[in-house]
Amino acid sequence: MSSRQLLIRDLLVLLAFAGWALALPAYASDFVTAMALTCLMYVALSSSWGLFCGSTRYLSLATSAFFGVGAYTTALLLADLGWVQTIALGAGLAMLVALVMGAAVLHLRGTYFAVLTFGMTELIMHAVTYFEKKVTGTVGRVLTVVPDNHVIYLTVLALAVLAVVVSIVVRRTRFGLALMGIGADEQRAQTLGVNTRLVKIAGFALTAGFAGAVGAAMAVRWTYIDPHTVFNPFIGFQTVLITLIGGVMTLWGPLLAAIIFSVLAESLRLQFPQIYLMSLGLLLILSVLYLPGGLASLRWETFKAWWYDTRDWAKDLKREITGQKERDKQRLKRREKESYFV
Amino acid sequence: MSATAWLELIASGLITGGIYALIALGLNLQYGLMRILNIAHGEFLMLGAYLTWLAHTQLALSPLVMVPLSFAAMMVLGVAIHFLCFRRLTATSPNLDVFEARGLMVAFGLMFLVQNLVSWQWGGDLRGYDYLTEPVKLGEAQFAANKLLVLGLALLFSGALIVLMRQTLLGKGVRALMQSPVGAQLMGIDTKTLHPLIFGIGLGLSGVAGALLSMAYTITPYMGQPYTVTALIVITLGGFGSMGGALIGGLMLGVIEAFGMHFTNPSLKALLSYAVFIAVLILRPEGLLTRKTRKA
Amino acid sequence: MTPKSNKMPDKSFSADFYISLFGEFMVQLTKRKLLQNAAATVGAATFAPHLLAQAKPVRIGYAMARTGPWTGGAQVSQEPNYLLWAEQQNAAGGLNVKGERRMIELISSDDRSDIETCVRTYEKLMGSDKVDLVLPPWGSNANFAVAPLANRFGYPFLAPTALSKKLIEMKLPYFFLMLQQPKPMCDALVDMLKANGVRSVALIYVDDLFGLENYAALKVALQGSGINLVEEKSYPSGVKDLSPVLRSIKDKNPDAFVGFTYPPDTILASKQAKEVGFNPKYFYASVGTAFQLYRNVMTPAGAEGVLGMGSWNSKTSAGAKAYFDAHTKKFGGKEPDRWASGACWAALEILTNAVAKNGLNRKAIRDYVASTTHKTILGDIKFDGSENVGTPGTVSQWQKGEFEVVWPQKVATAKLIAKPAW
Repeated sequence: MSSRQLLIRDLLVLLAFAGWALALPAYASDFVTAMALTCLMYVALSSSWGLFCGSTRYLSLATSAFFGVGAYTTALLLADLGWVQTIALGAGLAMLVALVMGAAVLHLRGTYFAVLTFGMTELIMHAVTYFEKKVTGTVGRVLTVVPDNHVIYLTVLALAVLAVVVSIVVRRTRFGLALMGIGADEQRAQTLGVNTRLVKIAGFALTAGFAGAVGAAMAVRWTYIDPHTVFNPFIGFQTVLITLIGGVMTLWGPLLAAIIFSVLAESLRLQFPQIYLMSLGLLLILSVLYLPGGLASLRWETFKAWWYDTRDWAKDLKREITGQKERDKQRLKRREKESYFV
Repeated sequence: MSATAWLELIASGLITGGIYALIALGLNLQYGLMRILNIAHGEFLMLGAYLTWLAHTQLALSPLVMVPLSFAAMMVLGVAIHFLCFRRLTATSPNLDVFEARGLMVAFGLMFLVQNLVSWQWGGDLRGYDYLTEPVKLGEAQFAANKLLVLGLALLFSGALIVLMRQTLLGKGVRALMQSPVGAQLMGIDTKTLHPLIFGIGLGLSGVAGALLSMAYTITPYMGQPYTVTALIVITLGGFGSMGGALIGGLMLGVIEAFGMHFTNPSLKALLSYAVFIAVLILRPEGLLTRKTRKA
Repeated sequence: MTPKSNKMPDKSFSADFYISLFGEFMVQLTKRKLLQNAAATVGAATFAPHLLAQAKPVRIGYAMARTGPWTGGAQVSQEPNYLLWAEQQNAAGGLNVKGERRMIELISSDDRSDIETCVRTYEKLMGSDKVDLVLPPWGSNANFAVAPLANRFGYPFLAPTALSKKLIEMKLPYFFLMLQQPKPMCDALVDMLKANGVRSVALIYVDDLFGLENYAALKVALQGSGINLVEEKSYPSGVKDLSPVLRSIKDKNPDAFVGFTYPPDTILASKQAKEVGFNPKYFYASVGTAFQLYRNVMTPAGAEGVLGMGSWNSKTSAGAKAYFDAHTKKFGGKEPDRWASGACWAALEILTNAVAKNGLNRKAIRDYVASTTHKTILGDIKFDGSENVGTPGTVSQWQKGEFEVVWPQKVATAKLIAKPAW
């Protein structure tokens, strides 16, 4: 398929998805809509996370920090500004934090970067707690003026669609190529003239913007927010898990995985709540070991390859058990020895 | 502040630091040797604590007996986990960066798995038991008996590990592998047996830390994570891969925290720990106590 | 699998009816063995006697923490009471709905200590399933999130584990807080200390809304009392070591120690105070001292003399004793806690009476709750807006293995004793 056709296919799928999500509140119950809301939230978070962290392979655990920054923006300013302005400001502030964070830490790679972003999230949480305590004398914030549920749903839907659109578009631009180049081999990209520092910071800020906007939108659902709730590292962990299992380099992987996990979470929650989290962990391990490309990279070839692999492994085991392997080895050794005399 | 008060403060810092050092040593072994950043480390600590609690309340086994037992149990578990999860990664990863990233993700998954397995099995209630809580007087200063025990055992195990690393052939092999994986293999050092063994020892140490901690603190399925984070801070301070650095870094962190809590308040302590952590990672990623030989 | 409880046919014994009841039964099974048995009992009680009774069951929904950080508190103070209550009512033939006896059907699920899940579950229960009544979740955070919902859908909420001035300030007519707020509790504490000649007190408090509100209330209460606050240190929840703080407090030698702490920190502070040799005449740790767990971990001798937030025990009234015994018997020796559990049971008593007098008309129930003085196991309870102003601020103390109420005199079950050294 040509690039143009792919683009059209992607946009059509997105349109269909958006249309279905838009119509959902009309015919489904409040509960299903609320579930869809969480699902859309993770679609937005994981698509934007995958965009930067997938291509460049810089695993960022700072999603919770940006989410929290957005949430606090809403808590502090929603009463004074309008809804759209607050969301935009939440995104903006999160991007600012990302710019500062990125400038300081993006020169470190791999595990250092992951651990550092985690540390920064905790640092921000403790800093906000301390500041709130000492300066304003309170710890949490109560949101008294909240918009209608429908408005929240539409906002998060718009953010999710925007995140996927941005993913689609960025992959086609030089910026997207630069990101992937950094992921493939950073030094080579630098020698080829890519300003890696700028590209990385821009990508990081993009991720942060979405996380901040989503945080700003979701905060109103909880009425009372405090640092522990909105800076909860689990939000970041779940985003990372979903994106990794879905396929960190792919476009539709995060979306697929977000949907699957929302449904899984809800159905398991009613019967076996810990099993949901256990299965999340197990799935992650299995997918990293056997399916590094994620769910979205599943093709017929993958299944065939697994089948062949298993069959070969079973054959090998049988050979070992019956002693055939040993006999073959000995025969080979003897042949080698004999060949010296030729 | 009187001399006794200073002594008590430093000592309580050392006690906490001893635990930190023990956990950090395990994590360090795994990262330094195999470049596996096992962020599920704290969960095995928690597992060790639960096993000790179970043994104490159900079978009336003394926690002291459980210390070597949890070491053994966690070590076996570690070997099994390495075999199941990490061996395949070594085979299939194209380069070190990818291996590190994938190792991190697998550890992530393990963290969720273990935490929720325990929560499922034993519930989220707080558990605890009373063991050797009578205070012991050393001169003017006063400490709980179990805390002194914890310090003693932590130092003992750390010391044993360092001796192992320096004096035995096994230790020399490990250090050789750390310095140059290819060169060591050329010399005939077998990574296939060494890697799982060391991974197991790392987890065993965390099990011991858990057993020691269970004597003095309440245990919940979620107690592991803060210790993982602290261990990360310690090995950052001490330098990735340096045993002595982890030991000294751990003790130092404990004492710094104690002073911080005393002179400011505990809320600030958390802030300070993280600020120090990030500062060190940014400014001197190879650690405060190592020479500038390793590249970040 | 979602409970299929929104399509109940009208007074007929069709297959759908039993299938949906069975569905409800399945939903209630949880992994914890004790609760599993309890739920099974309730399920059986709803299932079998229905062949005899002719009325629709009363559907009561709630979300409770069965996994996650809130589990400890929720499974001690709240959920066991809900299960016990449903069982007791059903054993008597059902809940008295204005004269008619109808069986209780509990529709519950795990909220995973996650606010979003909590909000979603209650939206479903009240919005789509349209259950008859709801019971609140555990903890201030969850109640904050769910209170506006209760108001919107018009379901009265009597919350036994929510504590915050801000909740009261929100002035939600359908929301009632059962626990005494920081001001009465701190006033009671200060009055008691003053009456016993205390001149100096040291304070530590946890870094969140609970700690801060109590800290502020304590400072106000101490003004003009003649008691000197020699130390005030805050700490983050999840702190691992309080001994440096306790050592420095010991050096200042206060008469009393006050800790606005949560159960893990309460136990930590108690153990470390023992280690450090800190033996003030009065040792008060707010939350957690009321739990059976505290006595188990500290041993009865170790807990002797420790003060905390508690408002009842089995000596408070005959009803309290009956409740205590029933709870302990049903849950295999697990005792209710001496603060929130009692408030939870009192809330259920109020609800029972309200339904008996007003049927399932939620507005009428709400008005009844707001305007009447209720007789409960805790004594008289009446509400001023959302706040319970009937139960006074209290202080309790561990004495010989029981957490006795020692202040104020009118509800005391024992006299205050001096605290022996650890």
